[in-house]
Amino acid sequence: MFKKIIAKSMAKSPWIYHINTGSCNGCDIELVAVLTPRYDAERFGFKLAGTPRHADIVVVSGPITSQSKERLIRTLEQVPEPKCVVSIGSCPRSCNVFKGSYSVEGPLENYTHVDVSIAGCTPKPEAIIEGLAKAAEILQEKREAMGK
Amino acid sequence: MISVQHFPVIAVMGLFLCAFLVEIFGAKNKFIRNTIVLIAAAGAFALIASLIKPVLLNGEIISYWMGNWEPVSGYAIGIGYEIDALNMFFALLVVTTILLAAIYSIKYMARDHHLGHYYTLFLMLSGSVLGLVLTGDIFNMFVMIEIMTFASVALTAFRNNKFGALEAGFKYLIIGSIGSSMTLAGIALLYAQCHTLNMAQISAALTNSLTPTTVLAFALMFAGFGVKSYIVPFHAPAAEAYMTAPTSISMVFSGMVNKAGVYGMIRLVYVIFRAMDLAPLQLILATFGTVTMFIGVTMALAQHDFKRLLAFHSISQIGYVITAIGLGTVLGLEAGLFHAMNHTLFKGLLFLTAGAVLYAAGTTDLDKLGGLSKKMPKTTVCFLIGAFSISGLPPFNGFASKWMIYQATYEKAATTGNFAYAFVTIVALVVSVMTLASFIKVTQAVFFGQLPENLKDVREVPLLMRVPMWIMSVLCVLSGVFYNVVEKYLLTPAANAAFNVTNYIDKMMGDGTAAAAGVTNITVDGATLSLWNPILWLVLFAIVLIAVCIVVLTGENTRGRVLAKTENDSEDGKYATFFGGEKSTHSHVAGSDLFWGFKHDFKGYFKFIQGMHSGVVSDYALWAVVATALIVVLMFVFVH
Amino acid sequence: METITTILTNAFHVLVFPGLLFAAVVGLLLAGLDRKLLARMQRRIGPPLLQPFYDFFKLMGKETIIPHEANRKAFLIAPVLGFVSLIVMMLFIPIFGYSPFSTNADLIVILYLLTIPAVALIVGGSASGSPYAGIGISREMVTMMAYELPLVIVLLTVAKKVGGDELVFSMQKIGDWQAMNGLLISHWSLIPAAIAFLLVIPAEVGTQPFDVAEAETEICEGPLVEYSGAPLAMFKLNTAIKMFVMTALFTFLFLGGIDTGIIALNALIFVAICAVVTVLCMTLIHAITARLKIEHLFKFYWTFVSALAAISLILVWLGL
Repeated sequence: MFKKIIAKSMAKSPWIYHINTGSCNGCDIELVAVLTPRYDAERFGFKLAGTPRHADIVVVSGPITSQSKERLIRTLEQVPEPKCVVSIGSCPRSCNVFKGSYSVEGPLENYTHVDVSIAGCTPKPEAIIEGLAKAAEILQEKREAMGK
Repeated sequence: MISVQHFPVIAVMGLFLCAFLVEIFGAKNKFIRNTIVLIAAAGAFALIASLIKPVLLNGEIISYWMGNWEPVSGYAIGIGYEIDALNMFFALLVVTTILLAAIYSIKYMARDHHLGHYYTLFLMLSGSVLGLVLTGDIFNMFVMIEIMTFASVALTAFRNNKFGALEAGFKYLIIGSIGSSMTLAGIALLYAQCHTLNMAQISAALTNSLTPTTVLAFALMFAGFGVKSYIVPFHAPAAEAYMTAPTSISMVFSGMVNKAGVYGMIRLVYVIFRAMDLAPLQLILATFGTVTMFIGVTMALAQHDFKRLLAFHSISQIGYVITAIGLGTVLGLEAGLFHAMNHTLFKGLLFLTAGAVLYAAGTTDLDKLGGLSKKMPKTTVCFLIGAFSISGLPPFNGFASKWMIYQATYEKAATTGNFAYAFVTIVALVVSVMTLASFIKVTQAVFFGQLPENLKDVREVPLLMRVPMWIMSVLCVLSGVFYNVVEKYLLTPAANAAFNVTNYIDKMMGDGTAAAAGVTNITVDGATLSLWNPILWLVLFAIVLIAVCIVVLTGENTRGRVLAKTENDSEDGKYATFFGGEKSTHSHVAGSDLFWGFKHDFKGYFKFIQGMHSGVVSDYALWAVVATALIVVLMFVFVH
Repeated sequence: METITTILTNAFHVLVFPGLLFAAVVGLLLAGLDRKLLARMQRRIGPPLLQPFYDFFKLMGKETIIPHEANRKAFLIAPVLGFVSLIVMMLFIPIFGYSPFSTNADLIVILYLLTIPAVALIVGGSASGSPYAGIGISREMVTMMAYELPLVIVLLTVAKKVGGDELVFSMQKIGDWQAMNGLLISHWSLIPAAIAFLLVIPAEVGTQPFDVAEAETEICEGPLVEYSGAPLAMFKLNTAIKMFVMTALFTFLFLGGIDTGIIALNALIFVAICAVVTVLCMTLIHAITARLKIEHLFKFYWTFVSALAAISLILVWLGL
């Protein structure tokens, strides 16, 4: 019974840790907009966590730069399982307009498994909420798989 | 078969005798030296412990006249030893400290040289403090104070290759001598007035006859014992002495040397002068105590050396004791005695852990240590027990005694209607939190946090050093949980002895002396305690703990796994501490300025108080003299 | 037979009502109410009332990572210690005259028991070995020093008011006195003390603007920075129960004389008052303020709040 409750709670209380790997700040602002009274992601239980140890969903925005790569990998490792990685915007997918820059290492998929990718430059808050909700469902699935 | 009345004098003489035997036979041979010391300490312990039954349980008073010089026509001419429940209580503290310090010294001091000298001085100090609390003769008491002071000075400067040791010894010498001189002057005046040196007889002679001479004598002896118990403003040399002395000696200082001062104070105000029914004197003692506890703890918050911090806490805790005994109520005296006993236990324990840290890591600087709990887990547990005890967390012993002190002070405030005592209660409660704060600082700076690179090879201290720590830890917990037992068998008899002076006089000077002198007894029932049942609390605690454990453990399949770093995992990555994504490097939040926000708001006060502790011995001497003058004036204005 | 019944009733008291289960459920509900109403005050829809339960169960299902700098035992034991002492404290606070164990407690004991959860948080944070936690525990300790002074004065005021010329620290007697002489809050001289106590509650629980110790935006949740999984769930639960314990203490001390005669109804009214107090002193203040700096927090408590409490103490001392 507790297994079921825990798995269900996984989907209802996903805490977000946000990593900016070199974004232009556009996506970051939109992510914050998601938490404002207008969109209020907290009604689904979303909450910004202060440290990766508390996080369930890691939100990455921006292309992976040579400066941020090492830090990103280390921080992702410190998140306890089950966890989801969500990318926001076009940059983590394809490096967008930064592609080819001497300091850009490449898209996020090269370094970790991305569960949900939210497209757009920048994605609308509605899109971000939908993406996060999908990530929450994936979390529940991962937890159920862990229990077996 | 030697009768029981010889035991106390044998214990004292045995310690003094062994002090010389150690130097004669044990200067070269380690084994003989240790054997003599342990026999002396254990012998003193056994002799005093065998007096528990007659004195504490049966309520007898033991008197002994040296060389059988009994009183002639009502005048005491010889030196008398008189053991009632009050000095029995202190004697027990003293012998326990001696025994544990002796055991601890064997390993702790093994790396030092000239150990023959060390043990000679140690046994001299032990014998003198034991003699001080057991004697019934006031000049004999002064002689013991002198031996105690000079042995302490020499021991403070024992590690004279270390920075500051000689300086601390010198300061101790100056201030200690001022205290001794005051006491001697007071005794001389008393002798001129009463023509006797026996405390019981003085007490009888002083009934209803306070003259200016005796008031001056009282004020001078008050100041003298104040110096010996290091109340503010006589405290300054104590902090440095505790810091630079070998840690086994620091424990002896805080465990029994300043208890000797407290004992002298109680003997002076309760028995010799029987002055505790004077409201102004109560207020003076409570004021000195309150100032002492506040200044002690705030200075402790500003320290960045483990042992120096403990030294200032010793001062602060003595403030609690002085406040409580100054209330003049049964509950107050019991609370003060209980706190004195607990202070011996937990402060001894904390000094021993500080010594263990010094032994293992080579320093007690809070800024250079850190993370030792992984290398010295047993010491850490002992330290935490001591720290929680001194901060008064239930169910440890510090809580029981502090709780009695709060009750006593607030009861005093309620019954006398004096708001000052309510203020004392508030200060006492706040000081307790500050005590907790400064031990949190030590916990973070020494035992938790991150391990510096140069301390990677630190190992746990040897068993012989851990045994005294464990004994003290167990005593800390037991006396907190079974405080009712302590109260019934130790505190109530001791408090009764302090209040019922007629028995003390009659036993020494012959039946009827007290009545002839007009001394009346104050009948005392046990103190009325409010409700606190640590056993019930512990039972409830255990039940809930078991329930939680069952829930947590049965959920093994359900809840997430608990992961810790194994050999295969790299140090960087999953198990590294979070540094905002950076590679984790050594960054330990050290203790020296941990409570920045607090200190910022009090920066004026801290600047002033740290400026006052200038470290210049003439300043300290000036404080001592001014304070003595102040005490004399206060006594003449209010007590006369 | 009789002993078995006694053991069973006591076990019921400890584990169900008013102990473990009751305290945990009400605590989490109060936390949920706090979050929901805070959201409504900010014109948001807000999380469901049961959100703290979801958070708790979710955290139970996560991995617990012990950093290699941490002291493993202290790191794991600390949250349990805080939790257990909070539950035991709950057993000592009477719920409108109904209290299985409260005859064994007095105000000073409660005051000291209240420090144990904070000490548990500090020891746990310290044991985790993180520098963020180091700063966090320093702030937690300063917060504790800050609110302790007004708290002490308030408790002594209550003791003096109830006791008069006698010494009364007993919880039972405070309840009885209020049943006889009217609620303590109805005596005007105690109103400043009641306000001071209300202001102490948010600092004790650690909600905004007094959450300097767990400031997630600057020091990454302070002492909790390295915690994850079940121990973190325990700490979150501790905060929730602390909310209940503190509001319950307020309800008992200042509104403790209500009695309808039915235990269930009493408990219901008790919890309702606790909820009102929670909204009043935590949600409302949270919604209208931003986080203080640690030195401002300290100053606030040692001047303004302490002065309020001291006014009451002096008034009571003058016999008003």
